[in-house]
Amino acid sequence: MVGKDCVAIACDLRLGLQALTVSNNFPKIFQYGDVLLGLTGLATDVATVSDLFRYKVNMYRLREERNIAPSTFANLVSSSLYERRFGPYFVSPVVAGLDQKTGKPFICGFDSIGCIDFAKDFIVSGTATEQLFGMCESLWEPDMVRLDLDFRTLFPPGIFFYMMILLKNGQLNHDVECSTIMHIICTSDLNFTNASYQSTFATGFDEFFANNLNLLDDLQCPEDLFETISQALLNAVDRDALSGWGAHVYIIEKDKVTKRLLKGRQD
Amino acid sequence: MSALFSQNPLMNGPNYSFSDTPVSHPNEAHGELREHRFNPYTDNGGSTLAIAGADFAIVAGDTRLTSGYSIHTRYSPKVFKIGGTTADQKDATIVLSVVGFAADGTALRERLDAACKMYRYRHGKPMSVNAAAKRLSTMLYQKRFFPYYVYAILAGLDEEGKGAVYSYDPVGSYEREMCRAGGAAASLIMPFLDNQVNFKNQHIPGSGEGHAIQEREKKPLLREQVEILVKDAFDGAVERHIEVGDGLQMMVITSQGVEEHYLPLKKD
Repeated sequence: MVGKDCVAIACDLRLGLQALTVSNNFPKIFQYGDVLLGLTGLATDVATVSDLFRYKVNMYRLREERNIAPSTFANLVSSSLYERRFGPYFVSPVVAGLDQKTGKPFICGFDSIGCIDFAKDFIVSGTATEQLFGMCESLWEPDMVRLDLDFRTLFPPGIFFYMMILLKNGQLNHDVECSTIMHIICTSDLNFTNASYQSTFATGFDEFFANNLNLLDDLQCPEDLFETISQALLNAVDRDALSGWGAHVYIIEKDKVTKRLLKGRQD
Repeated sequence: MSALFSQNPLMNGPNYSFSDTPVSHPNEAHGELREHRFNPYTDNGGSTLAIAGADFAIVAGDTRLTSGYSIHTRYSPKVFKIGGTTADQKDATIVLSVVGFAADGTALRERLDAACKMYRYRHGKPMSVNAAAKRLSTMLYQKRFFPYYVYAILAGLDEEGKGAVYSYDPVGSYEREMCRAGGAAASLIMPFLDNQVNFKNQHIPGSGEGHAIQEREKKPLLREQVEILVKDAFDGAVERHIEVGDGLQMMVITSQGVEEHYLPLKKD
């Protein structure tokens, strides 16, 4: 999944033979330098293919004396899978990484014979694809950032009101409890001077937003991307009998990769 | 060899000059019946969704009707008012949505509507949702071995005035729920509803370690919030499912009656 100046990739941990769960600690994401590869499908092929790419990426690094770029790796995956056109590995890979030079997020997915699906939003793969498509399509939005607006100064606590911010490029909707800090997940090109908003408490909003324009500098995009991809994955696998048992989530930023373990439902 | 390609009718059976000749099936000789290729069911695609609130219920469905890759019509409602006293159902209080095989859906709707009218005639009062829900279950199970190929959702207000949603499988197994998605894009919409309506996988930050962490408190959503969720759910489904699109029909059941809304969806 793509965020603002960051990408995320996540997988569940279940290994199963049809309905029989064989292991609840089978990660499907592999890291090769700056690039991450997710593999779903036949477990033997997941092991074989991940080892094969470990070998190929290491050879590339020795020859070129630099790390492989995500887009180069994607083409390597594609050609390696197509080599086995008539006896394919039964895997559907997903690649995620940041472009080394530009820092632009890169994600793509493949079918088992290497046809690349370049996407600018998200890629899903595995047994819970339908559920993941539904979750990602409804949770994801471009350039996710979070603004923490403190409404406590503006309105008395306990009052519940409903606010809608209409943006140039879409619509955002959030219920807000005044006693808490408001979290708006929104697009980074949010411009409060151009945004129109409706509220049952319309008074005071104009000055409030005008005073909080500087909050845009205080972006927390990787955290928001983490929340979005985690919610998308956890809720999707809970509606799929063949997925689940915890998850690994990787957030890739310019100079760091964060890996988190999510426990999730254990059934 | 000559016998194999012989033109002699006595050796090969009748040699017709046209292609579709009645050929006796090899199994027929052994007294077995010939297979008829009539299929009484079609999947007409589409998707439905219902959410219950504290004092309202919303039922929605797209209006596309498909068969295979072709679109038969862009406006064929899947959500119906049931049990009114007039033909236009303007005083109806119960809403039924059916998705799956459209012909069975129509038949089931008419049967349930008739049953509700008979109930009113016999008892001199409108049918409650829980009574209609049980009746619908019986109706579906009566056709246990030649089922109505539909996923039905029934909604209304219960005797306490709370929103009620009942969901069914094609043979009448049913359950009262807070929300349910049905049809082609059910698998896309249902996890989204788990997350946004029942707050699944949402916890209170810093309220405990590991599994001791507290879940976000469940409370029924406001009507405006539910309407937005329904739109978002369908916008997502339209984007990724070819059988869903064209229009969104939405029925809002409150103590004031049933409001109907129509919104356009993508037509591609």
